[in-house]
Amino acid sequence: MKISIPHIHKTLGDAGFFARISQRGEVKELRIKVLEGLRQIEGILIGRRVWETPLIISRVCGICPTSHILNACQALEKALEIKVSLQTEHLRKLITAAQIIQSHSLHIFFMSLADFFDIEKETYLMKKFSKEAKAVLGLRDFALKIIEIVGGRTVHPIRPIVGGFTKVPEKEDYQKILESCKKAQKESFVLINLFKNLEYPELRRKTLFCSSFSRKEYPYHKGQKIKIGEEIFSPGDFFSNQIEEDLKEQPAKKVRFGNKAYMLGAIARIKNSSPYLDSEVKNVFQEFQNKNKYFFENSFYNTFCQAVEILHFLKEIENILKELLKENQQQAFQEYKISKGSGLGVLEAPKGTLFTYLDVDKNGRISDCIIITPTAQFLRNLEEDLRSLAPLTIKKVKHLIRAYDPCIACAVH
Amino acid sequence: MTKKVKVAIVSLTACEGCQIVLLDLGKKFFDFLKKVELVDFGLIEETPFPKGKLGIAFVEGNPITKEDLRVLKKIRKQAKILVVLGNCAALGGIPEMKNYQGKEKTIRYIYKTLKNIVNPEIKEVDNFVKVDFTLPGCPITNTEFLKYAKDLIKGKIPKIPQKPVCSECPFWGKETCFLRKKEPCLGPITLAGCQAVCAKNNFSCYGCRGPLKNIKPQGFLKTLEKMRSKEEIEDDLEIFGLKDMIKI
Repeated sequence: MKISIPHIHKTLGDAGFFARISQRGEVKELRIKVLEGLRQIEGILIGRRVWETPLIISRVCGICPTSHILNACQALEKALEIKVSLQTEHLRKLITAAQIIQSHSLHIFFMSLADFFDIEKETYLMKKFSKEAKAVLGLRDFALKIIEIVGGRTVHPIRPIVGGFTKVPEKEDYQKILESCKKAQKESFVLINLFKNLEYPELRRKTLFCSSFSRKEYPYHKGQKIKIGEEIFSPGDFFSNQIEEDLKEQPAKKVRFGNKAYMLGAIARIKNSSPYLDSEVKNVFQEFQNKNKYFFENSFYNTFCQAVEILHFLKEIENILKELLKENQQQAFQEYKISKGSGLGVLEAPKGTLFTYLDVDKNGRISDCIIITPTAQFLRNLEEDLRSLAPLTIKKVKHLIRAYDPCIACAVH
Repeated sequence: MTKKVKVAIVSLTACEGCQIVLLDLGKKFFDFLKKVELVDFGLIEETPFPKGKLGIAFVEGNPITKEDLRVLKKIRKQAKILVVLGNCAALGGIPEMKNYQGKEKTIRYIYKTLKNIVNPEIKEVDNFVKVDFTLPGCPITNTEFLKYAKDLIKGKIPKIPQKPVCSECPFWGKETCFLRKKEPCLGPITLAGCQAVCAKNNFSCYGCRGPLKNIKPQGFLKTLEKMRSKEEIEDDLEIFGLKDMIKI
């Protein structure tokens, strides 16, 4: 028997699915077919100038441009040994948290929720879940407002540059966002309540969970270490020695760790760093996890983890805003000099750990660029999870693929 | 009640940012959808490729794969009005930079030896099909989308006023103007409609909305050459796919 899905809707970018199953039910062949064209952004960057590199890299993805632009800035700051201000760090945290919220809320409601029911029209979904739809639009508006205030625009933010920002918000702006934090937190509970009462399909498969990691906080804006399974690596070691891109397959380079597949994103971050979740969020999560014994063997729960992370990052936003209100306004960016060097940026994009490696030559032109996106890293894990689905039905396949929240545009770039 | 116009929003190879900015309109976008019959929007709807005639097809991205081209040609046949969204579809965008580098060279930075990679020269959508209206920008401006969509759903092709970005720029005529500060800015030759969003955020214009029609930019480019080398200006024009339209 063959199962073929020419195009998976409600994912970012273009992918299909193909599987061949024997009469006894064995999966003989199974793959995610990446159909997206190759834009060659890594190649395009060779010879380009430092200042324009974050702007170009932002165009890798329209759903998480904030993650891409900030990670490029981070990589170049390492390459050029630029130390950014505390204000810049705080603003980057703020906009990264907002980016995760806007992406998660879009995904869980508009792309994933229908899979739990027999609904195909999302506009119908908005009628059936009108209270939740209002909450999700409210949450997105809240997060987008932050991205606009800090980044200048929601898609392809303008202000983040190497060394900081072209312009920084006024204190009144922070105050205004702070005032709407509580409303957003209430809205996130509406989503959590919806997602905790859904019936998740069964799946049991052990895997490795990978995310950036620190012993101080829940990971997001700057990866200090990488945790995979029980092992901890420096980002440089992990990126250069532990993982490998498959260059035989194109246009998406599927990544592996040794010979193993691994999982990223909300479920992986929670697996590796749940002690660092906000205390109220931790309780919400644990209450749900306790009812589901094999929680971390079932990737369908990634959707629930995203709902939980929305609340966590809302709390984080509240904390950062309070910090920013306490600080004196500093200059928007740090001046820098061009020199030869290389740097690796690591951060948690909504869908998982993003690596951006850049080499700068003595003239300030890019001489090497490698971008390893979350989707490129988890595609193999997704295929292995799909193999463990029994029985393999089109509905389940689509549901699982979407639960991963893949971004094929990112994976191919 | 008059019948609602059938609308499809389709994506070729793209970052999908132009579709995301539509969703970023939130409630306003869903209110707009109530006025039309949405037959395809793969980002949030699970619908088969639309059959039969369409009122408007909005197309984002570059035609790179064979499938991109098939979709583009098919949707053109079906749609009464074809609108392209964004800099990639309109001007080639960021991916077009590889044309200037020599596309065979660019691909080898990524895949050193692999063969059979789809690697066509990047061309604007209007090289393949007739385009009725272009909503430019990287990304498009979503409020501008709503404004012109009103005409489009009535079957009218709107016209974007041919005014430069400077006409919307808060720094125009002031000491803070990038050009007065001897910093390159393509505002004077670029089509307005973005509300000079980059300048407002303290970033000069790199022309993502494309050059104004019926202008000769050479004189202006000579002015830029007083600020930067010719090579730098060429690099600037390459970012958003302007170089093949403007000869220095």
